Amino acid sequence: MHKFVAIVGTNSDNSTNRKLLQFMQKHFADQATIELVEIKGLPMFNKPEDKQIPAQAQAMAKQIDQADGVIISTPEYDHSAPAALMNALEWLSYYVNPFADKPVMITGASYGSLGTSRAQEHLRQILDSPELRARIMPSSEFFLGHSLQAFDDDGNLVDQTKLAKLEDLFADFQTFVDITKQLNHANAANKQEIHDIDWANR
Amino acid sequence: MKLVGIAGSVADKSYNRLLLKYIAREFKDVVDLDVLDINDVPLFNQSDDQTDSPAVQAISNKILAADGVIIATPEHNHTITASLKSLIEWLSFNIHPMSGKPVMIVGASYYDQGSSRAQLNLRQILESPGVDAIVMPGNEFLLANVKTVFDENDNLKDDRTVSFLKETLGKFTKFVKVINKMNEKEDPGWQSEDLESHGKVETTVEGVDMHAADWVEKAAEKTNAAEGDDYVKLDRGLLTVNQLNYFLNSMPIELTYADANNQFIYYNHFLEAKDMLAARTPGQAGNPMADCHPKRAIPHVQQVIHMLRTGQTDMFRLPVPGMGPDKYVMHYYKAMHDAKGEYKGINELVLDIMPIVQYYLKHTGQMLVKDPDADTDAVSGASTNTKPEKTDAVSGASADTEPEKPATAEPEKPDEVSGASANS
Repeated sequence: MHKFVAIVGTNSDNSTNRKLLQFMQKHFADQATIELVEIKGLPMFNKPEDKQIPAQAQAMAKQIDQADGVIISTPEYDHSAPAALMNALEWLSYYVNPFADKPVMITGASYGSLGTSRAQEHLRQILDSPELRARIMPSSEFFLGHSLQAFDDDGNLVDQTKLAKLEDLFADFQTFVDITKQLNHANAANKQEIHDIDWANR
Repeated sequence: MKLVGIAGSVADKSYNRLLLKYIAREFKDVVDLDVLDINDVPLFNQSDDQTDSPAVQAISNKILAADGVIIATPEHNHTITASLKSLIEWLSFNIHPMSGKPVMIVGASYYDQGSSRAQLNLRQILESPGVDAIVMPGNEFLLANVKTVFDENDNLKDDRTVSFLKETLGKFTKFVKVINKMNEKEDPGWQSEDLESHGKVETTVEGVDMHAADWVEKAAEKTNAAEGDDYVKLDRGLLTVNQLNYFLNSMPIELTYADANNQFIYYNHFLEAKDMLAARTPGQAGNPMADCHPKRAIPHVQQVIHMLRTGQTDMFRLPVPGMGPDKYVMHYYKAMHDAKGEYKGINELVLDIMPIVQYYLKHTGQMLVKDPDADTDAVSGASTNTKPEKTDAVSGASADTEPEKPATAEPEKPDEVSGASANS
């Protein structure tokens, strides 16, 4: 059974993205182990000269490193991913390389109707950067619009069409993880290149 | 042209900050660029609102006061830094100082790309509805290989880069003018001042008749107002309501408070109306300002209020003759604002400055003599003992002539204005 890390893409106390991941954790419990990870509490990324990342980020890096894949659920702030999520990803690319060749599935929930379409595009661009080099599941999007009305009192997705889509995508992700494991010939080189990035002079 | 520069990095060493400081220095005859620090801005969290933190407020106020903004962004992970994004999130959450603001994006990076993707991304972010900035199209200034492009004095080495930057900045100054012209609000004009106080401001006491003689009592009851020995915390001190009254009623000045809704809500009541320089009666407190002025004075009052509300002037001075040769009565209309610069009404101060002038002359051994070169029509009466033949600034209270048409072209010189006293 695959082990996944699910990153809540916000530091907000109330988040329908957290709700979505909690639902996935419960709903797919018989298919995969999903651990939720919070990004709240990380300090602002400031390129420390000693190249050390905070203990919280180190623990996250280790969890991701040991996982078969990562699920990130992002809100959308100002047509893009939240600063808090960008901040976490900066720490997780600073002389550490947990995302190198790591399979990633992106989801997103928003109060409005668009369901974070632009933030997801932004997040793909970030994860594809030379500092992260993640393997994002291609041609797959899960948008949960009107997310305040999307869950019942037990935290289950109400919309059966949406649920079916999520189940299909999750099954695809399981397959994608298996395939991606074979696409790892450049993994050592990728990790080295990430490590060699000169952050000091940016 | 006043611009603020924001470097999108909180790192100690930032080439983007270096670039902004260089622009500020090199082009100081073109723009006045204030490079801001974003180091103290907390990471955005929508469940921990820190919009009112000093760091966010300071940046917001500087942006609001500036004609335009230059943002220099590094590129981390194909995008802008979390620290810059975090600032933008604060500036698009409960406040929107970037709205309509002209923005130029520049970027420096260590690699060849020169922050190309971060710049595109920043455009997209700045144009989102919550931010609503207006980013100058085209004119991408990408400074690549930053490690090698500055000399030992932190100046750009390459002449072509400097001239391109100069050209880009020149275009931006024009862009700023165009966008700000586009943003100019139509001034509704002084005619929009409603002296009947139909509107309301957050302090307006609703459900009490403004015209009533006992408005103060009714409104105090409705608001459960502090009185007597109740303490009031002030900037800066602590007084009881009684103490506040002793204090205000011992001012040798007649003070009147007219709020932003043009309602006359207070005067320091230490004299009977007949003894006042500008007569007020207790029953007038609470009245809309229209109640306190003769109809013919209304347009002039509207003009003065509008000048103060819109910031055309912070204080309007008006000598009001007609109290005899021994007095020189001045009316000062001072705009009041809250900490955010929001208009909060008018403080009208009325005093006879003649005792002050006489005191000064006596104690310095001087006397008033007529200035043969004076080009003013408004002559002081007391020393010359001649009746002013003509004056531009005439009081409304005493003037019983028909006023001329309001001077719309030159509202700073109304022919006739009066305070709340002009109901004679």
